[in-house]
Amino acid sequence: MKEGLQEHQAKKKRAERIILLGLPFLGFGILAAVLGTTEALGEWAVTVGVVLIIFAVLVFVLGFALFQRFETNFKHEFLKDYLSGLVEEGEFVPQKGFGKIQGLDPADVYNTEFIERADRFYSYDFFRGKIDGVDFVSSDVKLQRIEYETYRDKDGKIRRRKKYVTYFHGRVFHFDFNKDFDGHVLVLERYKPQTRRKYQKVEFESVDFNKKFRTLATREHTAFYILTPHFMESLMKIEKNHPGNLGFSFIDNKLYFAIHTGKPTFSVRPFRRLDEKLLEKFREDVGLIHNLVDELKLNRKIFKED
Amino acid sequence: MQGWLIALIVIGVLLLVVLIWYIATMNNLRQLKVKVKEAESGIDVALTKRFDTLSKMVETVKGYTKHEAKTFENVVKWRQNMPDELTVKQKEEFMEKMNQVQSDINVVVENYPDLKAEKVFTNLQRSIADVEEHLQASRRMFNANVSRLNSRIVTFPVSIVAAKINMQKYPFFEAEPAKTQDVKMEF
Repeated sequence: MKEGLQEHQAKKKRAERIILLGLPFLGFGILAAVLGTTEALGEWAVTVGVVLIIFAVLVFVLGFALFQRFETNFKHEFLKDYLSGLVEEGEFVPQKGFGKIQGLDPADVYNTEFIERADRFYSYDFFRGKIDGVDFVSSDVKLQRIEYETYRDKDGKIRRRKKYVTYFHGRVFHFDFNKDFDGHVLVLERYKPQTRRKYQKVEFESVDFNKKFRTLATREHTAFYILTPHFMESLMKIEKNHPGNLGFSFIDNKLYFAIHTGKPTFSVRPFRRLDEKLLEKFREDVGLIHNLVDELKLNRKIFKED
Repeated sequence: MQGWLIALIVIGVLLLVVLIWYIATMNNLRQLKVKVKEAESGIDVALTKRFDTLSKMVETVKGYTKHEAKTFENVVKWRQNMPDELTVKQKEEFMEKMNQVQSDINVVVENYPDLKAEKVFTNLQRSIADVEEHLQASRRMFNANVSRLNSRIVTFPVSIVAAKINMQKYPFFEAEPAKTQDVKMEF
């Protein structure tokens, strides 16, 4: 394991060296361009500066492309086996996500009923497995919507331009739920229901829980049935570690869980060491799934026939 | 416009605002009362379900011991002598009696491993655990709605409307401390 990691660390360094190589070219390019504006050196210095800057940009592009290739290889050659080994029947498929694996509904993310439909949809780092007999499916999801902004052009005319704004970037999970229930329940922090289903607001006996989460249900009784005092306490605990970013929905005997982190879960960044510490971070991310199963007692199937 | 006319309009508008508020508050209180009633009927459904499951359980253990069957018969008799519409207090009492039968059955089961292993019995235990969860959910839902209604009723100026329409505070559905926790069933 350690040798494999070192091998990838060496490959990573190679890509980083190329990125670093661009820096002196960029530095000299800027210097030449600035000096070119003085009378002593003249226009030729500006030309040299521009050429150097263009060259530096090309080197950066090459470096980052190599880094990206390294990351893809790292995920395929190392992380795939590593993560799959952390859970029972584990399967990690970096290039695939929701909607890209046969047998999964492409709309699985929207089935949560609280994630807004995107104009641009990305899903990757698919990870599924079993924890304590509980099946789970998860994937990183990045969603963007189109927004228009107005600006003034050179002639002072007001124009409109389109831009893509990321409104969700994180992980979406599906779990088998341990209780059979009628109706739909949403427990939301930062999200709004994205359905025409008739939800009603539910207020629980816990004032703290009502402050943290907005609970909506098609049947009030189902909300009270699913969200037992222990369950609410567990959600509060999980929320403490990820404040303001959680959304849960209980639909068709499934638990959907979304967490907005603003970054990819299993990514490697340039100039950060590829070591045991990083693997520990990945283990912690998988630990969140363990935590959900344990805290929410999803493994206690006393209410359901196997 | 004359001063008295302006005063009249202002008074008229104020009266209209008060009237609208009065009607809105009255409707809101009545809606809350309906929710409490709905929640209470949820308790009734859960209690009936529990009673049915418990009677099946008693039937199953009958062959092993006579005592539990007798206790359960007493519960049936007690229920027959009660009116169809039970008060919250009577429902609590009914629940307590069923709790007693259930804990008696649990003691019996501990002494008969064969019975414990029987599939029919295991399924019934599973059902009773689920029914218990539903009962807890109904109880919590009822109490949450009662709490909302009661706090509205005692808050001024809503208390004036509540008194006018004869709306009174509702009793909570109390449960033993052990019953307010998650159901613990051993299989």
